[in-house]
Amino acid sequence: MTHKTRTEDPVHISVSEASFRDPSGFVFTHDNTLYRQVNTSYRDAYQALIRSGLYEWLVNKSMLIPHETVNGPVADEGRCWRIIRPAPIPFISYPYEWCFSQLKDAALLTLDIQRAAIEHGMCLKDASAYNIQFQNGRPVLIDTLSFERYTEGQPWMAYRQFCQHFLAPLALMAKADIRLNTLLTAFIDGIPLDLTSALLPRTTWFRAGLLMHLHLHAITQKKYAANPPSETGKTAKTRYISKTGYTGIVESLRKTVQKLDWQPGGTEWGDYYNDTNYSDNAFEEKKALVRQFLAQARPGDVWDLGANTGVFSRIATTMGTPTVSCDIDPAAVEINYRQVRQQQETLLLPLLLDLTNPSPGLGWDGNERDAFSRRGPADCIMALALIHHLSISNNVPFDKVARFFQTLCKHLIIEFIPKEDSQVRRLLSHRADIFQAYDRQHFEAAFAGYFTITQARQIRNSDRTLYLMQARGQ
Amino acid sequence: MRKNFQLPILAGLGAALFIILGVAPPAHAYLDPGAGSLILQGIIAGIAAAGVAVKIYWHRLLKIMGVRKDDDSDKK
Repeated sequence: MTHKTRTEDPVHISVSEASFRDPSGFVFTHDNTLYRQVNTSYRDAYQALIRSGLYEWLVNKSMLIPHETVNGPVADEGRCWRIIRPAPIPFISYPYEWCFSQLKDAALLTLDIQRAAIEHGMCLKDASAYNIQFQNGRPVLIDTLSFERYTEGQPWMAYRQFCQHFLAPLALMAKADIRLNTLLTAFIDGIPLDLTSALLPRTTWFRAGLLMHLHLHAITQKKYAANPPSETGKTAKTRYISKTGYTGIVESLRKTVQKLDWQPGGTEWGDYYNDTNYSDNAFEEKKALVRQFLAQARPGDVWDLGANTGVFSRIATTMGTPTVSCDIDPAAVEINYRQVRQQQETLLLPLLLDLTNPSPGLGWDGNERDAFSRRGPADCIMALALIHHLSISNNVPFDKVARFFQTLCKHLIIEFIPKEDSQVRRLLSHRADIFQAYDRQHFEAAFAGYFTITQARQIRNSDRTLYLMQARGQ
Repeated sequence: MRKNFQLPILAGLGAALFIILGVAPPAHAYLDPGAGSLILQGIIAGIAAAGVAVKIYWHRLLKIMGVRKDDDSDKK
């Protein structure tokens, strides 16, 4: 379900670059609508999904993306059995962009789906974290073709994948370092278990779930890696697994995931709003200006970059605008997501993103997972209290910042913070001030090369200025 | 009441070798499940199943001895 596609028919049909591993079917777009082709080889499993009642059960609980069967278009006639049109996902995000609780909720959803599937005589044949997306503030399985009939005795074919995609990063984030989720960008099929085992602290050997599913799992993988396949193409020793045992594996994984926890706090900007010394009046004034600029721009969607815990993102969502709320700080994103979950907010998607090193294109040919910049442009970007981080902390000249934003949005709401501001002074307190061009005049001159500045308003009781701009050529 | 698998699994780790080997039915998944992962699943599933069986019989024993009255704990 990605916007990036390879062209099959230059006029009409584009097959998703991420949809090639599973022979059951694939995703394609036609006239900006997303479809999924179900191949003939998957007919029996699809019919079982529907007839068992599992599809209806999962869709009613918003655990699986709903779809409609449609007459066409057909992307690959030779293999096609049916075309379905899934409900659209407004913004595609990836596990390495999720905070701890987002990944944990996605893991628990996967296990709950597997649980329900077993009760309906089905099972999940894969457990990829990339099959989960966030819709209306909650995780949802987007791959309708992930199911097959369950036969007593079979192993869970996706057990290893679940451990690599979910359990390994969650354990590393909770027990070693919250930033280790970034390993997911280095390994497209989840974090290798031997690496996970090596990075986890020794105390995790005394946790039954982590011991079994990660440490011993890594050892058995290594031990049997060189086990030659038998004539039938299977490994020599494959056990018959009873349904009780099969269910036991899922329940054990669920308990292990459920026990993992991470509490935000102590990271760089987690307490930003309490730490800032600009007045409550200025803060309220800034909120009012942002609301006014949003009402003027009337965007269809907003990306709030450097959103912290999402205070300003929520101005957009309360106006009914779907908003992606990005921040570099895992604690801020965690707090933001917990609020989404607690308040059952449907329009806000918090994401972890380092703007100075945004998610690149990953996977086969660098095209399986879209770069962050390829998922735009957004109707409106908000860059509040951000420019000093880009231009001073990261030494990016104004011109580059302006050019970057111009490729990503139509409207830009951006705040300029001068050197006199306490937040900028803090950044300069231990380094030489080499930023002679860091002032409002140079800022406006640089941005005027890429945007039309339609509003420039000083935030009262502060030395900051808020701008509304429109990208040139949009 | 949901089954508690974790403790029986841990308690049964040492008994893994005594689980009877069988042959799994053919699977048609497109993923490589990994040889080591399959072996480990067999062990964990065997222990889980044995643990559940022990738990059920333990509760029945307690009931027979009159230590515990009827409840839902062994009906699942």
